[in-house]
Amino acid sequence: MRTIWAVAFATCLAIFLVCFTTPAQAQQKRREGLTLSEKVQQLTEMSAKRSILRFNGHKFKDFVRSTPRNYSMIVMFTALASQRQCVICRHAHDEFVIVANSFRYSQHHSNKMFFAMVDFDEGPDVFTSLNMNTAPVFMHFPAKGKPKHSDTMDIQRVGFAAESIAKWITERTDISIRVFRPPNYSGTVAVAMLFAFVAGFLYLKRNNLDFLYNKTLWAFAAIVFTLAMTSGQMWNHIRGPPFVHKTQSGGVAYIHGSSQGQLVLETYIIIILNAAILLGMILVTEAASQKGDVRKRRILAIVGMAIFTVFFSLVLSIFRNKAHGYPYSFLFK
Amino acid sequence: MVTSAALYHLMWMINITIDIRNVCVFLAPFFSSLTTIVTYLLTKELKDSAAGLVAAAMIAIVPGYISRSVAGSYDNEGIAIFCMLLTYYMWIKAVKTGKIFWSALAALAYFYMVSSWGGYVFLINLIPMHVFTLMVTGRFGARVYVAYCTLYCLGTILAMQISFVGFQPVQSSEHMLALGVFGLCQLHCFVDYLRGHLSASDFQVLFKATIVATGTILAVITGILTITGKVSPWTGRFYSLLDPSYAKNHIPIIASVSEHQPTSWSSFYFDLQLLVFLFPAGLYFCFRQLTDANIFLILYGVTSIYFAGVMVRLMLVLAPVMCILGGIAMSGMLNRYMKDVDASPVILGMPAGNLAQGKQGDKRSKHKQESNFVMKSEIATLFVAIMCFFLISYTMHCTWVTSEAYSSPSIVLSARSHDNSRIIFDDFREAYYWLRMNTPEDARVMSWWDYGYQITAMANRTILVDNNTWNNTHISRVGQAMASSEDKAYAIMRELDVNYVLVIFGGLTGYSSDDINKFLWMVRIGGSTDRGAHIKEWDYYTPQGEFRVDKEGSPTLLNCLMYKMCYYRFGQVYTEGGRPPGYDRVRGAEIGNKDFELDVLEEAYTSEHWLVRIYKVKDLPNRGL
Repeated sequence: MRTIWAVAFATCLAIFLVCFTTPAQAQQKRREGLTLSEKVQQLTEMSAKRSILRFNGHKFKDFVRSTPRNYSMIVMFTALASQRQCVICRHAHDEFVIVANSFRYSQHHSNKMFFAMVDFDEGPDVFTSLNMNTAPVFMHFPAKGKPKHSDTMDIQRVGFAAESIAKWITERTDISIRVFRPPNYSGTVAVAMLFAFVAGFLYLKRNNLDFLYNKTLWAFAAIVFTLAMTSGQMWNHIRGPPFVHKTQSGGVAYIHGSSQGQLVLETYIIIILNAAILLGMILVTEAASQKGDVRKRRILAIVGMAIFTVFFSLVLSIFRNKAHGYPYSFLFK
Repeated sequence: MVTSAALYHLMWMINITIDIRNVCVFLAPFFSSLTTIVTYLLTKELKDSAAGLVAAAMIAIVPGYISRSVAGSYDNEGIAIFCMLLTYYMWIKAVKTGKIFWSALAALAYFYMVSSWGGYVFLINLIPMHVFTLMVTGRFGARVYVAYCTLYCLGTILAMQISFVGFQPVQSSEHMLALGVFGLCQLHCFVDYLRGHLSASDFQVLFKATIVATGTILAVITGILTITGKVSPWTGRFYSLLDPSYAKNHIPIIASVSEHQPTSWSSFYFDLQLLVFLFPAGLYFCFRQLTDANIFLILYGVTSIYFAGVMVRLMLVLAPVMCILGGIAMSGMLNRYMKDVDASPVILGMPAGNLAQGKQGDKRSKHKQESNFVMKSEIATLFVAIMCFFLISYTMHCTWVTSEAYSSPSIVLSARSHDNSRIIFDDFREAYYWLRMNTPEDARVMSWWDYGYQITAMANRTILVDNNTWNNTHISRVGQAMASSEDKAYAIMRELDVNYVLVIFGGLTGYSSDDINKFLWMVRIGGSTDRGAHIKEWDYYTPQGEFRVDKEGSPTLLNCLMYKMCYYRFGQVYTEGGRPPGYDRVRGAEIGNKDFELDVLEEAYTSEHWLVRIYKVKDLPNRGL
């Protein structure tokens, strides 16, 4: 009896001691750093959520710089904040996303390679530690050893298109990625929606299609189309100008300075002015042909003429501002 | 060209000995005067002779048309617009009278149009569209049937005689609309014929069955033909009109021509002034009184304004219809008010256009005039005065625009110095004359295609590419040579067997249409074929995405052949007061790469104001040195 109690007590003591010492050991381990399998597991979990991981300085040291590693990291160093004014960082980021996504869904997917990015505003210490002062930069950190010179992608020479990035990755890691650009469905969706809309509209009106024969409707449509075209909407569609732009003195300019360009707001102003001039002319014509109250017709004619003259002078003065050297003006300068 | 030759021989036959060069130079203005006459006739058919006179007066001075028909501009459009309006005139006459005589004449005019300009595709789609609209609005009848069938059959057969067109009218998608409407015409008439011979219910059944059957057969046949490739899809030039961003993304050589750019509103106003506002008013007048001919005019107007919005060059097609509709609007408005200007109560000599009012109307308006005529005639006079003022301002605008923008010779430039005296830059002719006198007769010159014709004509030397080159790969090779570094460019130049290279440089004078400003297009075109795959547009921008020639510029740009040729020895030149040497006046920056030597070229000639620079390609070095 007494021996059984002794053995039980000893076992409890042993267990007790083991329980107390193990946490201390674990803490020691955490101070040293995560184990390889933990790193890989964390990385895999994070990349399951999004294909490019965003690192700050701390995570960068943990996952990319610290040993041991049995995976390679492809890291993009960029500066995406708008005040950095790095236009091609945005393009490079889009291409990088395409490569990362292609890898994620490809058959060579493994946990031997991960994609990450470091933004300058989130991890400036990383940039200084690697002595980098340009963006974007693509670097490959191999599983063993330090990155060599050719582990930095030479964007000047090969560009940053997704295909070039994939080729460079294959050169450095022997993992081939087939770049898959997602097809752009927005055009098809828009056309399909337009079709559905027109079909639905016709179906609703199937009993009474007379509205198609209405002359005024077609006249209105033709005139609206003409006004849109003469104000330069096609130019806007092809060139994509800004809505307004800021002048050097800090104000907002509605009208482009030269006659070579135009702003979107400017075209809307021109549509309104043209429509007003047209309205003036129509009023004048209607006033002459209607058989009605003479006084009303008289007022209509005078109003029409006034609108016509005033808005024509406005258009003339806007044109004069744009085309330097144009000598004519009417009511306004 | 056939026209010029014909005119030349005609003149010689009646013993007026005129040099062929003068015939060519003055051909365009001569045909413009003929266009004025045809516009008058066309508008007279569409409305009345008063509108015709106004339209003819307007088209005589409209800058949009003058810009392409200046004396000396010997291009297709000079006679093409005349042919187009002639065809339209004949067509309208044919539609109104239904006689085969007029449609046959229309087919002949169409043949003349096809032989002069590729824009005949517009015509052969507009006329079927007109017939189709007439069918839809229920105005189709025997006259239109006769007119269209004659025109289509004769016109297509005649068009196929031109070797450039060949079998396209039955094969390419651009002509399919005409064929489809032709078939539809036959069906429509057949249906009308049957309707007269069958009872109502029988007819309904047959009608529905035929529609469904024909629709299915047509769809299946078109599908099979398109899939097997017998019916070719729309070619690039015309497809880019329907989908405006197609050219920019896929065919840089079409997108780079400055005339193919879209039109901003100030270009519309610049070329057409008052007509821009009279155009919708004219549409309004047409809609008030819809006739068969007016429907044609509305269609023509709306389609041409779309195309003119897409491409500046097509402003030319828009100008006549703008004048016609403007003439209709202006004469319509003036017609209503002119009769009130005359303040006498006795109504004698009413204008001929006043047919709407009958005797009753006369009496009533006489009363109104007697009771209120003071104010009415005042208003009318005021209106007529305002209209006159606007017409005068139109004339002044057109004259100013023509004299400032469209009258300068493009080969001799001029500028005003600070004390308002003129400086003439005759560099082009100077350089071409040097080429003519100082190079061997079989020398080959490489330059960008803009200058091909000039070098051939004035320097009399062989060139690689000019405005008429259709070989995209060849132009792309020249672009690659200009955009590569010296060594790679030397390999290309030896392959193309070039002796001299010519570039245009505007940095000293501030001439902004020089080759550095066109350089990005050279890069895009150069990189668009297989052998130029290593040329990427991004390489020539700074990391921030700007195109700069100073120290911040991309090293690829600063070391490419074009840069070196333009800026050789420029680093020591003082251009503007208060600026460092090597200041480029067009880009507004001091150049980045100044003191360099050329390895594979040597400078042969630089014109007085550094506008034209000619380099000789060095021979291969002797071995062993």
